[in-house]
Amino acid sequence: MDSKPFAEPTSGAPKKPPAPVKIVIAGGFGVGKTTAVASISEIPPLRTEAVMTSAAAEIDRTGHVPAKTTTTVAMDFGCITIDDEVKLYLFGTPGQDRFGFMWHDLVVGALGALVIVDTRRLDDCYPAVDYFEKAGVPFVVAVNKFDGMLNHDLNDVRWALAVSDEVPLVTFDAREKLSVRDALLAVLRNTFSRAQARAAAP
Amino acid sequence: MTGRQDDPDVSLLRPYLMTSGRTKPVDHTIEIEAQVMTSTLGANSVQNLTFERRDILSLCRRTMSVAEIAAMLKLHIGVARVLVADLAALGYVVVRRPEAETPQDLRMIERVIRGLEALR
Ligand SMILES: Nc1nc2c(ncn2[C@@H]2O[C@H](COP(=O)(O)OP(=O)(O)OP(=O)(O)O)[C@@H](O)[C@H]2O)c(=O)[nH]1
Ligand SMILES: [Mg+2]
Repeated sequence: MDSKPFAEPTSGAPKKPPAPVKIVIAGGFGVGKTTAVASISEIPPLRTEAVMTSAAAEIDRTGHVPAKTTTTVAMDFGCITIDDEVKLYLFGTPGQDRFGFMWHDLVVGALGALVIVDTRRLDDCYPAVDYFEKAGVPFVVAVNKFDGMLNHDLNDVRWALAVSDEVPLVTFDAREKLSVRDALLAVLRNTFSRAQARAAAP
Repeated sequence: MTGRQDDPDVSLLRPYLMTSGRTKPVDHTIEIEAQVMTSTLGANSVQNLTFERRDILSLCRRTMSVAEIAAMLKLHIGVARVLVADLAALGYVVVRRPEAETPQDLRMIERVIRGLEALR
């Protein structure tokens, strides 16, 4: 992929734009994606919509096979200034299977993903977990402790999700900034150790 | 490209009509987190432009992402991408795209970790 700017500053541009990096925040409906982005973003979460079309017919929830799938997907995002030259973006997006075809766009180049789960509806996150596993995007599963409670033992969650032992599993509270920060740090450390292992491989 | 009344594609193309009837973006691969900054040339050319293009140049005096442009101007993300790519081709904005190797770049990952750790 071409990572160079399209055009050099024509004349005396003030300075170089920062390098953008991103983490994707996925999960089923209502698991706390927007809440997590809002807790830590330095700007109020913004929302943007994309019209998605897919030539490949997919079977939607109603069982129909449309000739062409079109969906409007909304995603919330926020950002964190890392330093003068690096800006971290957080994109929160629904992890429904029928949105799968837009995920490539969203996920390409991501440092990693945080899959938020609500233990009362574990299966909602399967499409996201599946996607990241297949796409080889390093991800961490974060159980959102609604009301500070954990309804399941974490080992049960791992078992129910059938994720490998290498996938870190953390608990967090989407409403707490530092808790979200720690979940994001888990994502980055996981990506780091994978990249390190890969670099060390012969 | 215009479709027949019953052509299901028509409504899909709608968002792209404002981009001079072009149905294919100049570079549709431009990432949603890519940073966009108005160049001096762009700042001096604002008056030659209309509507969304002008708005983007005004907005991007402060550097921001394609996603932010879309959200602020209430544009579909695909439209924002096309417009930004257009403006970039004219030299009116400078675009900094993410590096594809970032997920393998240990130093960059460490840098982001340190930045996050400093958050209170
Ligand atoms: N008690 C409690 N409520 C939470 C927590 N996280 C989110 N909520 C609430 O749960 C609801 C859904 O949270 P959102 O952040 O909107 O979830 P979402 O994943 O963005 O939802 P969609 O975008 O609709 O898929 C909101 O009413 C939140 O206030 C939490 O940790 N504890
Ligand atoms: Mg939401």
